[in-house]
Amino acid sequence: MKKIIAGIGLLMLGVTSQSRAQGMMDGFMRGQRKASLAITASQETFNSYYVNTTETRDPTLGTVTTQALNAYGVYGLDYDLDFIVSASYARTDASAGYVPKHEGFQDIYGALRWEAFDFNFGKKARLAWLFALGYQQPLQNYVSDGLVTLGRGSRNFDGRTMLHFKGSWFFITAQYGYIRRGQVTLDRVINYYDPAQVNPNAGSKVNVPDVTEAILRAGITTKHLYLDGWVQRQTPYSAGTDIAPGVPFPTNAVGFTRAGATLYLPLVKKFGLTGTYSTTLDGRNTGKATQLSGGIIIGI
Amino acid sequence: MKNYNRIIVACTLLFSLAGCKEPAINEGILPIYEPATVDAGGGNWQTILLRSGAEVSVPAPLAVTSTSYQNELAELKNTLYSIDPAQSTSVNYWATGGVIRWNQIARLLVSKYNLAPTYNSATSQFSDPQAARLFALLSVAQYDALVVAWRAKYQYNRPSILRQDVTPRIPIADVPSYPSEDAAIAEVSCRVLAYFFPAEVAWLQGQAADHKQSRIWAGANVASDVKAGEELAVPVATKVLSRAQDDRFSQAADPASTWQAKRTSAPYDQKWTSLSIPSEAPLLPLAGNVTTWYNAATTALSAPAAPPLTTSAPFQQALAEARELSDKRTRDQYSIAAAWADGAGTYTAIGHWNRIAEEQISYARQNELRAARSYALLNRTLQDVTTACWGQKYQYFVPRPSQVDATIKTASPIPNYPAYPSVRSAYASAATSILLYLFPSENIALNRQAGEATLAPLYAGTQYRFSVEAGTKWGNGLGSLAITQAKSDGAN
Repeated sequence: MKKIIAGIGLLMLGVTSQSRAQGMMDGFMRGQRKASLAITASQETFNSYYVNTTETRDPTLGTVTTQALNAYGVYGLDYDLDFIVSASYARTDASAGYVPKHEGFQDIYGALRWEAFDFNFGKKARLAWLFALGYQQPLQNYVSDGLVTLGRGSRNFDGRTMLHFKGSWFFITAQYGYIRRGQVTLDRVINYYDPAQVNPNAGSKVNVPDVTEAILRAGITTKHLYLDGWVQRQTPYSAGTDIAPGVPFPTNAVGFTRAGATLYLPLVKKFGLTGTYSTTLDGRNTGKATQLSGGIIIGI
Repeated sequence: MKNYNRIIVACTLLFSLAGCKEPAINEGILPIYEPATVDAGGGNWQTILLRSGAEVSVPAPLAVTSTSYQNELAELKNTLYSIDPAQSTSVNYWATGGVIRWNQIARLLVSKYNLAPTYNSATSQFSDPQAARLFALLSVAQYDALVVAWRAKYQYNRPSILRQDVTPRIPIADVPSYPSEDAAIAEVSCRVLAYFFPAEVAWLQGQAADHKQSRIWAGANVASDVKAGEELAVPVATKVLSRAQDDRFSQAADPASTWQAKRTSAPYDQKWTSLSIPSEAPLLPLAGNVTTWYNAATTALSAPAAPPLTTSAPFQQALAEARELSDKRTRDQYSIAAAWADGAGTYTAIGHWNRIAEEQISYARQNELRAARSYALLNRTLQDVTTACWGQKYQYFVPRPSQVDATIKTASPIPNYPAYPSVRSAYASAATSILLYLFPSENIALNRQAGEATLAPLYAGTQYRFSVEAGTKWGNGLGSLAITQAKSDGAN
């Protein structure tokens, strides 16, 4: 059971409109030369979004829906080292107004997760200290300068550390990370008002604010069931901008607090079904999104 | 121990990812250049609102042998070696060119006040018609003031600082130093922009004071040069602002809502309605009545023919093309549409063409007078294009494609005014005509940009091909009209 569920946390959140797969990593190691593959479908919707932190409903957008097909794989390079990869194909559309839909491959994410240290407490309890380094980049040149897009279009590095405690049937994982986002080249030259800018002739490249991330996840895991609940909080590290006319969306300081739950049910030895639900508790320059997803996990 | 080392390495890697807090934009550095020409005869160039450069008299300067001037020069030499880093930054900032910098300031303020005609927000204050008028008046004021300055320079011939045993901190034009062209630009620009942006007066005055003082810190002008430049700008600004008050723009918003009756009687089968949510009155319905810079009767002669009716085969063909572009828009088409959207919150399409002009002016190393002429020619033409197109738009009230077929999705927001003819396509052809006349060696880059800008509204899904073609043709005609006059203004 433990082997197959490794990485459920990541795939359950999918790779959605804000490419938030980066970060939703769990503390279960896959094991040497073991692999698992998950295929899920997800749907995320929002009918209001945050301008800075003020919730706004926009009748020119209506409800924005993003549907995605997600693939996620993890392979144990060693007993204490996993390689993780994920990618998605998505379609996003608004129910009102004249904003066009977008469809295509989103980002690919790859990471190394390393269990650096572990402490055993008796025979059934164990505390592990993990680190992970990841990299993410768009799979295609999708539109990123808008509220209804496939993602933010930046190439990112992330580093994170996790403390993972597992008892006989329950676990808790605390995680903290930093996501370094690269520049994005807009389709236009920079032509909006920035009071700090003395030279309005600065080309098309803009900086995407970095974020810090904290995740707390707790749940139960038995032979017949995996169930967890989690809270994820992303906080912009750089000042960034707020949603406003003319302001490029990639420069917006995006943050949020989301909470969700994940369920995994094994069907036969190496196959299982999984589902997750999550909702946004608060946010900054992002949609107040609710997401539902489900799929299969195969252990190899 | 080995594990602890690993942990230390991992932590180091983790924290090394946390970089400096970066701004949204990394600004570029603009070149500082010595002008390619001095244009000694510039004082005789044809002015635009002034009768000639002689309309404003500039008092004779004190002789260079006078004690007063020698004291100013000595003070200048002392200043050169004692400026602080902030003053040095200011010197370098303004050394890029006063005309260029004030055009940039205008763009910044336009983008700041180009508020959104979007849901639940204030009405747009600075969309294309307002911006066209602002840039035209600003560049005309700069140009007329500089013709006056150039005339006085070569009338009095106070030697350039370069010829007085002083090495300025920046490259400067070898033109007579009295009066200071930078002071004239700063003062006249500040006054014109203050008229448009009353809430920014204090900031603009600070910028103007910094600009003027930067020339003394740079070792480019003595104080009396600056004072004379500042003084000559005042009557020029007054004349330009007087024109602004009489150009009928104050009625452009149509306070009596006469557009509704006009729409009812418009000679078109399906009339435009606002697609904004909630529905809004169209943008500046009477902006077509604004006073033009060039002969309005000549402009009207080349006006496009009536658009095809919505029931006609040409219209249905154009609509089908717009629908197909909406359904199968490529990434490149999306990119072009976005590049030329210049919507709310930006410095508008007019500012976009001014930015392109800035690049050409900089490449050509034009002096302040010639740069002002380039902007004045471009911006007067673009304002006339706006006026001409607005008149036609509110004659026919042609609906946008998405009004006729709601399945047409747009890559940029739908402008809240009638479609025909495409003003953005007209801007592209008119601006490109002017820039090709001024900078003929840049024809490859300019024609490429023109091709994209012309088609951008079609790719965006906000226009029909017949509208784009009509706008392009009319823009070319208006550009040719402006060029014909420019050829006889004395600058060639």
